[in-house]
Amino acid sequence: MPEVILADAPSPGLAVLGALLVFIAASVWLGTMAQRSLKKQRFLEGFFLGNRGLGAWTLALTATVQSGGTFMGFPALVYSHGWVVTLWIGSYMVVPLTGFAIVGKRLAQISRKTQTVTVPDMFRERYAAPRVGLTASLLIIIFLSFTMIAQFKAGATIMKLSIPGSGAFVLSEDLPVEIDMKFYLGLAVFGVTVVGYTMIGGFLASVWTDLFQSVMMAFGVMILLCLALPAAGGMEQATVVAMERTGPGYVFAPGYEPGGRDFLPIGLAISMFFIWVYAGFATPASMIRVMAAQNTEVMRKSICLLACYNCLIYVPLIMICIAARAILPDFNQPDEVIPRIAMHVTQDIPFGGLLTGLILAAPFGAIMASVSCFVLVIASGLVQDIYLRFINPKATQDQIKFVTRAAMVLVGFVGIAANIYPPKYLQALVVISGSAGASAFVTPALMACYWRRSTANGVMAAMLCGFGVYFGLYATGWIQTWALAVGGETPTGLAATILGILGPDRGIGLASAVRPYYLLSVDPVLWGLAASAVAGVGVSLITTPPPASLVSRFFDAPEKAPSPA
Amino acid sequence: MPQEDPVLTSSRREMLVAFGIWLTATVYSLSYCGLYGYNRDPASLKFVFGFPDWIFWGVVFPWGLCTVASGIFAFGFMRDEDLGDPHPEESDG
Repeated sequence: MPEVILADAPSPGLAVLGALLVFIAASVWLGTMAQRSLKKQRFLEGFFLGNRGLGAWTLALTATVQSGGTFMGFPALVYSHGWVVTLWIGSYMVVPLTGFAIVGKRLAQISRKTQTVTVPDMFRERYAAPRVGLTASLLIIIFLSFTMIAQFKAGATIMKLSIPGSGAFVLSEDLPVEIDMKFYLGLAVFGVTVVGYTMIGGFLASVWTDLFQSVMMAFGVMILLCLALPAAGGMEQATVVAMERTGPGYVFAPGYEPGGRDFLPIGLAISMFFIWVYAGFATPASMIRVMAAQNTEVMRKSICLLACYNCLIYVPLIMICIAARAILPDFNQPDEVIPRIAMHVTQDIPFGGLLTGLILAAPFGAIMASVSCFVLVIASGLVQDIYLRFINPKATQDQIKFVTRAAMVLVGFVGIAANIYPPKYLQALVVISGSAGASAFVTPALMACYWRRSTANGVMAAMLCGFGVYFGLYATGWIQTWALAVGGETPTGLAATILGILGPDRGIGLASAVRPYYLLSVDPVLWGLAASAVAGVGVSLITTPPPASLVSRFFDAPEKAPSPA
Repeated sequence: MPQEDPVLTSSRREMLVAFGIWLTATVYSLSYCGLYGYNRDPASLKFVFGFPDWIFWGVVFPWGLCTVASGIFAFGFMRDEDLGDPHPEESDG
């Protein structure tokens, strides 16, 4: 087990623990408030879709790919690789627009026409084919389960590190943490809290918690920016000092990387302009949010709100981390950058400890909100797509309520049980499941919304090929990494054969032990998207067209009732 | 010949414009950063409002433009439509 407690590690004492407890209390309170606003007679729609009543703020600040990663992995990347990370995240400039304008209206309309409350259910009704819904449901459950298990670990780790005497407080989604009683205590508190308030308030509890942490994160970033930039002598000075400490790569592309890899060659930069945009509108968690939008006016306002919010978060966060590189001496754990800079710049101001605690607790709130959403989506899949379809189609309201809550407890139990001995390569599975959602669902979402000729088989082919190609390139990368590790300087036998086919490591992207195979130097997501599109269109064209009545239901104007004579 | 659903018509138009804005931003940012951010002589570094020049003109400036474009799109182009009754059986009953 790697040693994670550094000699000079900063510990924020009781401040963070206090702030985490405030977050937990606020989340439980929000869950209770959410329960009061649920309509009693429409349990499924209320519990899983908030009665389609999301307002502009909740929709804007919860509907795209914001997560704990914004405050966890992202700052570490900036601290490590420098200004090039601005280009890496650059496509966020259009994410608010594409997130709502590409399929938002149509998804909301189709889900209303079909009276469906989950993404698989919507696909099933849109194509009148249970197999499409089942395929979507299984893929979603697989993707989200890996991510959810990893987020359980991240939440437990933050809880553990917030306990005084646990060493450095590090914001990381994949920190190699010592598994001890403090970790298990954190895991239990985190799991019970999240599943508890989600069971109480359902979808609304999830989005309100998400909104709460998003606002807290914005405040935290603004406070840090105002304190860190003057401390560094301004941005220009910070950049010059950081470049002197590292090298020109810290200011120019492809980025600073002491190991000699190219962090962001142009091929990967192109990939990032696809990944964030497409993951922003077509992942199941994003689609379920727009299905819950009140109306189109709310969507329009959300575009503006999210555009402004992203301006307040991402570029300022980059500026803070560049300042941190200048202010603080190098340290081995880039994941410590936000805790360290927060403690450094608030140490001489009144209530600095409390302020630090609130800033550092925001990512914990983000993780709770993410897990809450995953628990809901997985549970809704189990209830809608398995229990109500195959086990008890004529279930009463009380039976549905009971099974829903039982499903959530089961999902929470799996999240906790899987972390008793956390899988070694969990984070790799998280990366895969995050982008795999985009690879598998972009084409199906576009086909369902805009293409009359699309068929059930075409959509299934799009889902499976997108996921298959994406996962295949990751698996190829693992095989290549294994061959490089086994083969050493002069590979022989199987390792030599594999490297003969795949070639040497291209030396691009993150220096991760689990990295994909970058075919033609671009990310697997692009190949997944391309394969999904080709399969979806191709299979639709060679299969029997959908029935005219089904197409008409979704593509033709509803017939007006005859006016009274 | 039945008439096309008006929500579909406006959604498709908005989708194409959104894709157009994304494509324009992508081509501009990647072209500019590709030309001025990669393989650069460190001595040529200049700053614009504290940002390295290639970051400002390649990402920060278009980010600002896209934020404005998003506002114009939302309040000047995107149409409000009736998405349908969210609770039809309540209306019936």
